Formats: sequence, C-alpha cells, structure tokens
Amino acid sequence: MEPAARDLFPGALEMMLLQALRREPMHGYALVQHIRQSSGDLLEIEEGSLYPALQRMLKAKWVTAEWGLSARNRRVRIYRITPLGRKQLERKVSAFERMLEGIARAMKARTS
Amino acid sequence: MNFSDLNDEMHKHLQEKIADLMERGLSESEARAQALPEFGNRTLYLEDSRNVWRWGWIDRLNQDFRHALRGMRRSPGFTAIVIATLALGIGANTAIFSLVNQLLLHPAGIDLPERVVAVRTRYTKLKLLDIGVSAPTFADLRNSRQVFDHAAITRAVDLNYTDSDTPQRLIGAAVTSEWFDVFGARPLLGRVFRAEEDEPNANHVAILSYAAWERLFSGDRSVIGRTIRLSQSSYQVIGVMKPSFRFPQNADLWTPLGWPTDQFAEMFRFNERFFAVARLKPGVSPRQASAWMDVLTSRVRQSNLPWVTEAKWGLFDIAFTDSFAGATKTPLLVLAAAVGFVLLIACSNIAGLMLARASARSREFAVRSALGAGRGRLLRILLTESAALAAAGGTAGLALAYGATRLLLQLAPESASAGLSPALDAYVLLFCGATVIFSGLLFGIVPAWRISRSDPNEALTGGRSSTAERKRQRLRSALVIAETAFALVLLVAAGLFLRSFVQLEAANPGFNPGGVMTASFTLPTAAYPDGQKQAEFYRTLLERLRSTPGVASAALGYPIPFSGIDESGAFDIEGYVPPPGDPGPHGDDRFVTPGYFEALSIPLLRGRSFTDQDRVTTQPVAVIDDVLAQRYWPGKDPIGQHIKLGPVTCTIVGEVGHVLHSDLAADSGRGAYYFTLFQRAGRMASVVVKTKGEPAAIAPAVREAVRATDPHQAIYSIRPMEEMVAASLAPRQFGMRLLGFFGATALFLAALGLYGVISYSVAHRTREIGIRVALGASSSSVIREVVGQGLKLAGIGAGLGICGAALSGRVLAHQLPGVAAFDPLTLSAMAAALLTAAFVASYLPALRAARVDPVTALRNE
Repeated sequence: MEPAARDLFPGALEMMLLQALRREPMHGYALVQHIRQSSGDLLEIEEGSLYPALQRMLKAKWVTAEWGLSARNRRVRIYRITPLGRKQLERKVSAFERMLEGIARAMKARTS
Repeated sequence: MNFSDLNDEMHKHLQEKIADLMERGLSESEARAQALPEFGNRTLYLEDSRNVWRWGWIDRLNQDFRHALRGMRRSPGFTAIVIATLALGIGANTAIFSLVNQLLLHPAGIDLPERVVAVRTRYTKLKLLDIGVSAPTFADLRNSRQVFDHAAITRAVDLNYTDSDTPQRLIGAAVTSEWFDVFGARPLLGRVFRAEEDEPNANHVAILSYAAWERLFSGDRSVIGRTIRLSQSSYQVIGVMKPSFRFPQNADLWTPLGWPTDQFAEMFRFNERFFAVARLKPGVSPRQASAWMDVLTSRVRQSNLPWVTEAKWGLFDIAFTDSFAGATKTPLLVLAAAVGFVLLIACSNIAGLMLARASARSREFAVRSALGAGRGRLLRILLTESAALAAAGGTAGLALAYGATRLLLQLAPESASAGLSPALDAYVLLFCGATVIFSGLLFGIVPAWRISRSDPNEALTGGRSSTAERKRQRLRSALVIAETAFALVLLVAAGLFLRSFVQLEAANPGFNPGGVMTASFTLPTAAYPDGQKQAEFYRTLLERLRSTPGVASAALGYPIPFSGIDESGAFDIEGYVPPPGDPGPHGDDRFVTPGYFEALSIPLLRGRSFTDQDRVTTQPVAVIDDVLAQRYWPGKDPIGQHIKLGPVTCTIVGEVGHVLHSDLAADSGRGAYYFTLFQRAGRMASVVVKTKGEPAAIAPAVREAVRATDPHQAIYSIRPMEEMVAASLAPRQFGMRLLGFFGATALFLAALGLYGVISYSVAHRTREIGIRVALGASSSSVIREVVGQGLKLAGIGAGLGICGAALSGRVLAHQLPGVAAFDPLTLSAMAAALLTAAFVASYLPALRAARVDPVTALRNE
C-alpha cells in the first residue's frame, strides 16, 4: 500500500489538521482517526507523518499543545488551534480552492 | 513546547491504536502487526520532527562529523595510513611553499615586494648577460620619476672594525640615500640617510643591521650618536635597522656611497660596478617599467660610440625577488612541482583506499539508503568523512612541515638558506588550509560520487560481482595507473638531476682545488693608500706564508675562482682593428702574484709565468688564457704581442689554461687576462696556499701570518678551495637529494596503491580462483596471472609516465647542463625501477592467491 500522505501536495496535511482542530482540540491519534473518517477512508495517511507536520505547526505558532487525558484516560498531548492558525487556515483554503478550480478548468479544456 | 516528549507521544499514539484495534476483536499481536506499518517509520519521523526545530545543516554537519570520527576510530589502520600519507603530501607541499613564499613571494623586510625591481645591464655580444649598472645609468634611473618613486644603488665595502679586541671584518654596503625607501624599510632606532648625505664628504655616518647591533653592541640602545672606528676612519652611528631587513644579503652595516659628482659624467657610462634597485611608482606596471628600460637603452645607444650598439649594450629590469633568489629559484620551483606530484599521488592513493573501504561498507550504505537516507545525505556523510580525514592529515602535515622546514634549512647549503626562517606565517597557514581542502575534495569526491550512485538493492541482495563493484575496481585501476605515471615523471626528473650532477662533479675546472687553502683580506685606504704600500704588505705576508711548515707554495690572487667575485673589462690589441660589428677585445681581469698558477696547478701552455722580477719599474707584462689566445690570435703565438689598457701597454709573456671561474655548469665563454699584483696592486686580494697535508690544518698559521704582518688587519672567508668548488654545486646537490627523496616517496606510494588494488582484487576473486584451482590450475599459473595484472597496470602507467617525462624533460633540460631532454638511459632505468616495484607489489598478493584453498573458498559463499 502506497502511503497516501506522500502523494498529498505540500501543505495539504497541515491544512486538514488545522481544519480538524478548528472544530475542537484533539490529540494525535484522534486527529488521524478524524481525517480518515471525514475523508470517507479515501485518504490513507501514514500516521507517523502527522508528527513532523504538528511540530512545524507548533514552531509556526499555528497550534499550541498541552498534556491532557484521552477518552481512554491515557495521558496524551492535546493540540489546540491559535488565532494565527485560523488566519493561516483561511488563507490556505482560499488558495486551495483557487488551485482546485484552476485544475478543474484545465482538465475540462483537455477533454472537450 | 518542543519535541522532547515526542517519542513518548508516539508511543502513546501506538498504544491507543492497538487498544482500539483490540477492542474490535484483534488479538494483541495481530493489533500490533497492523498498527506498526500503518504508523510508518517512527525513527525517520522522529528525526524529521527534530529537524523542524534544529539549525538544519550545522546540526547535520555535526552529526556527520561525529559519525566520521566514529568511523575513523573503528578502522584505525585505514585512518592511520590515510593520515600519514596525507601528512606527507601536505607537509612536503607546505614546507616547500614556505621557502617559495620567503624567497619569491613575500620576502621579509620588503614592503610590496612585487613593486621592487633590480635594474641590470647586458652586453649580449660580449657574453656579459647580467651585470650591474654604472653611475650615469643610476642618475638616469633617479631622474625617471614618472616610472620610479625611488631608485638606489649599492656597492659592497669591506670594513675593518678595530674597536673590538681582535680586528673584525664587517660586511658593509655603501648605498645611496633612497636605498631604504626603495624597500619601504624603516629603522628600529634612529633614522635612515638623508639626501644631503649623498654628498662625497658627508658620508661618515652608518646604520647598523640588527644582527650586528646585537653582536657588537649587545643591543645597547644608546649606540645612536656614538662614533665608531671603521678601517681607521670615524663613523657616527645614526640608526639600527629592523631585524627583517637584510639587503644586500648579510650586510652588517650601511654607509652612504658618497660617489664623487664628476664620476657621474657620461664617460663613466660603461663602468658598471653598482647593484641598482628601484620601486615602481603606483600605477606603473612592470611592463611599462621594462618599456622604459628600452627607452633609456636607445637614448644611450644614440648618443654614444657605435661599439655600444655593436656590443648590444642594454638595460633591463627583473623582479628584485628573482634577483635575490638567484640560483635557488629554479631548483626550488622544480621541487615545488615535485611535491605537487607527491600530493597528487597521495590523493589518488587515498581515493583508492576509500573506494576499497566503500566496497566493504556497501551494505552499510545500502541499509542507510533503504532506511530513507537520500543520495545527498549519503554524499554528505562521505564528504564529511573525507573532510575529517583531510583535516587530521592537514594538522599532522602542518606539524611535519614545521619540522621539515627546520630540517631543510639546517641541511641546505648556507648560500641557499641564509636569512630564511622555519616559522610558519599567515601565508603558509593559508596555503596549508587550501591544500587540505583541495586534497580532501580530490580524494573524497570521486569515491563519494561513485558510492552514492550505486544501487542499494544490488548491495543488499549481495551480488558479489555487481556492476557497481566492477566500476569501482575499474576506477581504482585508473587511479593506480595515474599514480604510476606521476611517480615515473618524478623519478625521471630525479634521475636527470642525478646524471647532470655526476657530470658536473666530474667536470674539470681547469685548476686543481685539492690541498688549497684560501683566505681574503681588504686593506684599508688610510693605512695602504698606494700600490707601493700594498705591495709591501703582499711581499711580507707571502714570505711569512712560504716559510710556514706544511706550505708547498703560496700566492695571492684577485678575484680567485669560486669566490663569487668576477670582473671584466675591455682592452685594445696593438695593430688589431676589430671587424665591423665587433665590439672589440674584452676579457675577465685577474690580478695575481708569482706562484699563483703553480699553487692552483693551472697549466702554463706557452711562454713564462710571472716572476719576482716583474715590478713597477720593469716592462708591464700580462698572461692570457687559451680562450683569449684562440679568440684574438688564432693559430698564432701570442707571446710578445702587446695589449693596451688605457695608457698602459703590456707585453704578453705567457699563455695558461682556461679556468672555470664561478660555475662548473656553465662556462662564461669569456677569456681571461692576468696581471701581476706587483705591477698593478689593489686593496683586495685572497691568499692561495697549497699545502702538503690537510688544508684546514693550515688555517691558524694563515691567520697568524696576517696578524704578524699587520695586527690591525682582519681576514675573512678562510676556506679550503675544494669547499668553495663544492659549495657552488651545493644548491644543486641539495635539490637533487630532495628530488630523489620525493621520487622514492612517490614510488613507494604508487607501489602501495598497486598492492592495495591487487590485494583487493585477489580477495574479491577468491571464489573464482578457488574454482580454477579446483579445475587444476597450478599455483604458478595463478601467480603469473595476478602478477601479470599488476604489471599490466604499472606498464600502462609507465607508458603514460614516459610521455609525461618526455614533456617535463624538455623543461628540465634547459636547467640541467649536460643532459638531453630525452635521455633513454635515465628513462629506461627509472621505468625498470618502477616495474620492479610493481612486481614486488603484486607478487605478495599473488602468493596469497596461490595459497587459496578451493574447498574453503567455495564453502564461503
């Protein structure tokens, strides 16, 4: 099985993580589950690849993290989006939509 | 918040996931088996996460560097060989560079040395190719303010310093006032000369060299203003120079030249007796300065007698550093090239070793690459290893260079090493650093490139005869071929030097230096104002010497062979009109006493030599040598002919053999004429004593004879004549020995490289050889095959080396008298030496191959 995350465009994983965290703070494993389920199992990301992305986001101060408890009462690190992260998400989404539209048009032009 | 808990966090992640999967009914081991691959490469992600926070490349460099150090510790043998080889290469280069730097690039004590030129004269037709300048020419230089900021001349003066217990001879330099400005030299104490001290009678002031100040005055600062007695005149000390300034060479002190104004007249234009230097004006290029020399030359030619043009009189300039380095320059540059070759060979050798080691480590690299290390990363790891090795080798090389420079200066003949210091200055450190980087890249880049390109799959699945392996072996063979070629070039160069040297040693100088002791003196004008007084001194001194036990014969002469002094002049022959285009008779002047030809065993070919009856009151006489005789009296007897020197007409009474005066390698081609000191006395002369025993043993007696004749008279340069002749060859001999040493080093390194390649190939082919032996191949045929492989590589290398040697021989032949550019004897001897070494280097692994036991060899796979 090809790790799907490697085929994502750069920044896609971060965008999805920010989107997920905008709804509620989550720990790493829950984030993976969320993305997997909300994508209807279409996206298979290698779970480990989450962590370098989260570290990048921590460094950029888009998210914060603190230790808390999981649903199973395990000590886990919970990530929370910051106002800066929200702004970044908006920028990312609109850029993503423009790109998607561009790709879609190009594909149509090719087939017609 | 940082990544410090990340490992823990990932661990928790997996636990959560496994618990989740177990809730769905999987067993713990099934859950684990599914969870781990879905998570991916934890180590890699951990490292990626860490890299988010770290200072990227510096950190990786540090990591790679530590990895490299671990690698070096793991294989101490490899590391030691690489560092030793490199230290040798870098050390030799740094040591030779240190000398090149001090002699040619940045001699101490000169500000912007590349702006200082020496101005010289030549009379091409008279075979006078590089002599000093005259006073009128100096005046022209001083007036060339659009080209030169400063110009000065100097002339050696010998001074007897009599304030000490025994009279000492000081080497003085009479200079014009701008001498120190030309070099940009400032005094340590006091001042330099002023323009008004150029006036003829204002010149009783002196500036001491640092060494003389220490020696004579123990570094006493109150010496400034003190009056000292030099050659029975008073001089006031006005300055002490800095220790770095020592031009002209070995000067103890400087005094103003004070040349009489009337001597600057045009009639003294061709009285070349000064050494001239000048500093280029800022913005004036050396080429413009040379063009200006041509302008001055044509001015003089236009306004003078036609013979000036016919003799091809001309002025030219050379870099002061070149004139200062003199005869040392060529051997030094040859050596610099030689050590460059040694470094190239050392680097090829290390590259070969790195390739072999890389083959052994190919699995390690394959694993790294399978674990996600990119090609760039592998390259970086390998290059960091090379850099670490180069740095270690460079450090060892620097230490070696310091020791080697000290040793070189100790072993070098004094004429070549005077004034040089073993200290490593900033230029040398910079050069050493550049050499380290250059060699690190040279031996690191090829193996790194080769390895990072190899396919990890192949290495992991372990195909022994993989293509990557074959390519590597090919590359190593190419390196060995290059090494042998370089080594042969170097060996042939050393061989040519040796041949030339042997021929020179066997050269007949035209006299017999054996058993001859010499010593020199300069009589002060105050005590010996005229020829009569001087002749009295000679006569008394010679009588004392001749009655000394152990003396076979004694005489005086000036200048004597191999003393470094030479003089020449024009004369007229009675009844001889030079043909058009001929500048007229010219020859080297020699002044001797009766007994001189006998003491030096110079053969008398015709007529008689000088006798005690030749005096001021009798007919002036001269003796000529056979070169002069054949030049002007071809096929005739010159005895009884007359030559004219100004107003004096001399009768030729004898003809003697020609003598090589200053160089066994090159005859000046000029003839010489001799006068007797009893008719034409002078202040300077040398004692020439033929002894019955060991010449050195007579030295105290010579000293005593001079002291007894005049207790105020200093003597100097007390040396056996054989030593003087040998000293003229010493720089050559020293260069030859060093070149021989480097040639041997190159040969050894090349043999080592070949040994490495063949050993590796044998180890690699153990299975194949085992099969052959099992199929009935005899051990001698195995040996033949392996040795053949080695000789083939060495043979190709030797072939290329011969081409290289032929090219370098063409350059060397110009510098090496008596040697042809392409010398088949040297070439074949050195090629044979190389092939012998190659035979030994491949015979040892061949023996190992022959002992391969087919059973173990096959089982190993």
